[in-house]
Amino acid sequence: MATTTSQKLIRCIIVTPEQTVLNTEAAGVSLPLDDGSRGIAAGHAPFIGRLGAGEVQLHGVAGGTGTETTIRTFVEGGFVEVGHNAVTVITQGATDSGAMKIQEVQAELENLLQQKAVGDDQIDALLKAESAARARLRAARQKRK
Amino acid sequence: MANARALDRRRRSVRNIRKITRTMELIATARFKKAMDRSVAARDYTQQLAKILKNIAAVGGDLSHPLLESRPTQRSAVLVLTGNRGLCGGYNSNAVKQAMGLLGQWSGDNTETHVTVSGKRGINALKFRGITIDEEHLDFEDKPAFNEVAPIGTSYLNAYIQGDIDRLDVVYTRFVNIAKQEAIVETLLPLKPAVDEEHASTQSGHLASEEYDFYPSAESILEEILPASFQSRLFKCFLDSAVSEQVARMVAMKGATENASGIISDLSRRYNRARQTQITGEIMEILGGVEALKQ
Repeated sequence: MATTTSQKLIRCIIVTPEQTVLNTEAAGVSLPLDDGSRGIAAGHAPFIGRLGAGEVQLHGVAGGTGTETTIRTFVEGGFVEVGHNAVTVITQGATDSGAMKIQEVQAELENLLQQKAVGDDQIDALLKAESAARARLRAARQKRK
Repeated sequence: MANARALDRRRRSVRNIRKITRTMELIATARFKKAMDRSVAARDYTQQLAKILKNIAAVGGDLSHPLLESRPTQRSAVLVLTGNRGLCGGYNSNAVKQAMGLLGQWSGDNTETHVTVSGKRGINALKFRGITIDEEHLDFEDKPAFNEVAPIGTSYLNAYIQGDIDRLDVVYTRFVNIAKQEAIVETLLPLKPAVDEEHASTQSGHLASEEYDFYPSAESILEEILPASFQSRLFKCFLDSAVSEQVARMVAMKGATENASGIISDLSRRYNRARQTQITGEIMEILGGVEALKQ
């Protein structure tokens, strides 16, 4: 543990019910918490948080040729545990942002916008789905910039 | 003495059967390995959830949530997990036996039951025993996906919260190790966090709970984490069933192949004996003929 702190790297693990999607070291991690983004670097104070739909971004991941890259993964809510110089993201669904197609996500959002909901529960569920679809669209657009 | 040709024909057909059972054994072995890998890969998620739950329990003191409250059982839901195919030893029949025991118990208590069965074999067996099945699933094979299991879990969660069901029992075959799988009844609703804590205590290196901050709050995380924990447990039941089915088939087919080999060697011995008897008979006839000519 002490060696990783001295290198100022933080371990980031993303687990889904089916598998561990990602397990690597990065210089910094940006997390889509329920109420906004939060950046985490090595030595961050431990906390447990609830995630919203959005992108987990790993900055400064050591690439194969000595270069540093950024890994973007879209998560659909879940939880994060930060502590012991490690970030563990626990989510029900994680997709590589680079694999998302703008047209598909856009169509999904439009489809949701046309749906009608009756009753508090349905309205809540629809609003949640809409905001998740918007977040997905944002993530899909960002990679093209 | 049996006819040598008939014995040979039987031996050939047993050889063909052995080829089939041997192939099925190999396929089941390959599928078992893959299913096992999936099951192991899914373990991390459950462990991480349990770890967080334990931290919340330590900080918040008492855990209270509608999913944790047990109510008197008036309406009970039963989910039975079996396979779509046979030729896997007692895998399906053991699960059905457990389900029948549970359903008998509920009908004795006059409890209303909602029965969901996954797998063609279980559906047929329970229908044959006069059980009314409310919901059927046929699309779970050796690779259950979380996306397919989650809608089932969500419908149970909603039914439990709305009070349509007071309890959910899952009948499935738990995978203990390669030599042991047992058909068991597990109560998933109301949720029991105690089991999770047991898992979490095997983890090492986590911080004392007081050191953690919670965003936005421990209660709000608990509200989200319990349904997730339920879903992951339900998914584990499906994964365990898939692994157990492949192991059961592997063992059953191994036994069938060995039996076929035994029958083949027995038939070979009888065939050789019959052939020898036939030859001896023919020689005796020739000798008899020669003797007759001499005279």
